[in-house]
Formats: sequence, structure tokens, C-alpha cells
Amino acid sequence: MSEFVQQCRQEWSRLGVPDPIAEEITIELAADLRDAEAAGMWTEEYLGASAADPRAFAASWAAERDVIPAPAARGRDRKPLVLIAFTAAAALTLVVAAVLLITGEPRIGVATTTKRPSFSPTLAGPGPSVTRHVAGANASAPVEWILLAGAAIALGFAAWLWRTWNRSGSPIQRAAV
Amino acid sequence: MRRMAPVPQRRTELLRGVLDLCLLAVMAEGPAYGYEMTQRLRDRGLGIVGEGSIYPLLGRLERDGLVETYRTVSNGGPPRKYYQPSSAGRVALGAGVLEWRAVRDAVDAVLAPVKVEVAS
Repeated sequence: MSEFVQQCRQEWSRLGVPDPIAEEITIELAADLRDAEAAGMWTEEYLGASAADPRAFAASWAAERDVIPAPAARGRDRKPLVLIAFTAAAALTLVVAAVLLITGEPRIGVATTTKRPSFSPTLAGPGPSVTRHVAGANASAPVEWILLAGAAIALGFAAWLWRTWNRSGSPIQRAAV
Repeated sequence: MRRMAPVPQRRTELLRGVLDLCLLAVMAEGPAYGYEMTQRLRDRGLGIVGEGSIYPLLGRLERDGLVETYRTVSNGGPPRKYYQPSSAGRVALGAGVLEWRAVRDAVDAVLAPVKVEVAS
């Protein structure tokens, strides 16, 4: 069995093509390649551009014959669902952060410390306490800005993922005539 | 601006849309296995087609019920899978041929006035 046929067989196994069908099409391909070889043709001459990409060729054949099990096909569709959820979550976070920043409510404190001045023997009773906001006068702002920035970055990442997903075709689409 | 496709590429693209019809036509002459079909196509001048493309097409024809297959064991050789058009395949072939002829005639009508100059 030629290396090309072996690679096709491996790809059919990887894609989950049932063994009897994978065996059948392997025998069919191997027999035809043997005939072509006997007629003085190399695999590349016989198969044309397909010879350069056995995985795409095998995937194309299996897909056209509709022998790739459903879970593999579903796996290809799962990515957009995950992407949709990720994009929606990022967008929602962005909107919430923006609303919080605009309205200033509810305020989310980062951290505050209350410090009493050191005891002074000349003063009786507890002295006035001084509250110091670590993050400044509006304690909620840093958290909301961080949310806003994080959501914007996440949205940018989602956009990149969408572009990558739309550009990269499946091996089936890569199969050339 | 997109450049025109080179001649071999154009032929491949033109063939892509009718290769299933050509396969049905050559197997209608008599049951054939994959390599035999490519030989029949080559004998009619369609050697330029990448034979690799016939296998996915045969798979599609089989999936769509347009071909029937059977296997035979040849003397000393590997078992062969033969293809022939099913009754639905023969109907599809007839319809496809009519469609092809209509397209071919229309394209001919458009291209007929063009004077071809062959570069020396």
C-alpha cells in the first residue's frame, strides 16, 4: 500500500469513518493507483493537485459520501456556539461597565482603610477618625474601568476569532480539483 | 483587478460543473470502476481533469442514489468496485445534458462573433 493510501486510511480513521467503509474505499483507491502505476503514471499524475494533500482528499471523499459520523460534524459546528457565547458575554460586560461608569451607581469599593491618628496624651477620648480611600474619591471607578478595558480586549479577541473562523475552511473546502 | 485564469485552470473550472454528468455518461456506456472511468474520459480528451476529483464526486453520486455499485473479484487482482447509473441517475443525466446544451448554445451565441487571433 502506498504512503498516500496509508495517509488517506489514517485520515478516514481519524474522522471516524466506519471501518468497513474505510476499508472499502481504501481498497478502491489502492487498486486504481496500482492500475495507474502499471500504466506508467505517478500518483501525482493520476490524482493531480489532490496528491499533494492526502488528508484533504480523504476528508473530501468521506464528506461527499456522507460517511463522517455526526459527532465529528457537530464538533465543527460547536466552535461558533462557543464564540457566540464568548462574544455576547464580552459585549454584556462592556455595556454594564459603561453604564456603571456613566451613572456612577452602584459603587463598587475597591478597598478602604480607616486609620485613627496616633494617640495624643493631651486629648481625652478617642480622636477623629480619618477614612482614606485607596483608590481616590470615587472608589468604584477603577473596577469599572478595568471591566471596560477587559471587555473591550475580549471583544477584540472575539472579532479576531470570528475572522479566523470565517477564513479557515475545512479540509473539505481545501480539496482541489 | 483580477486577472483572467490561465487556460488549464479555466478548463478545470469549466469541467468542475459538468464532471458529474461526464461520469454518469461514461458509466452509462457500461459499468466501470474509477480508473476505467478516467481512461474513458481521457480517450475523449478530458485528460486534463485531476482524477483525484472524481472520487469525491463518485461518493456524492453514491450518496444521492444516482449510481449503483457492486464489487467483483478479478482473477488475481484486487476486488473492484463497479459503478453504473441508477434509474434516478439516468434521469439526472438526461436532465443535465439538456441543461448543458442550453448553456453551451447560449455561450456559443455570445462568443460566436468573437474573432480569434492566434499569436504567432
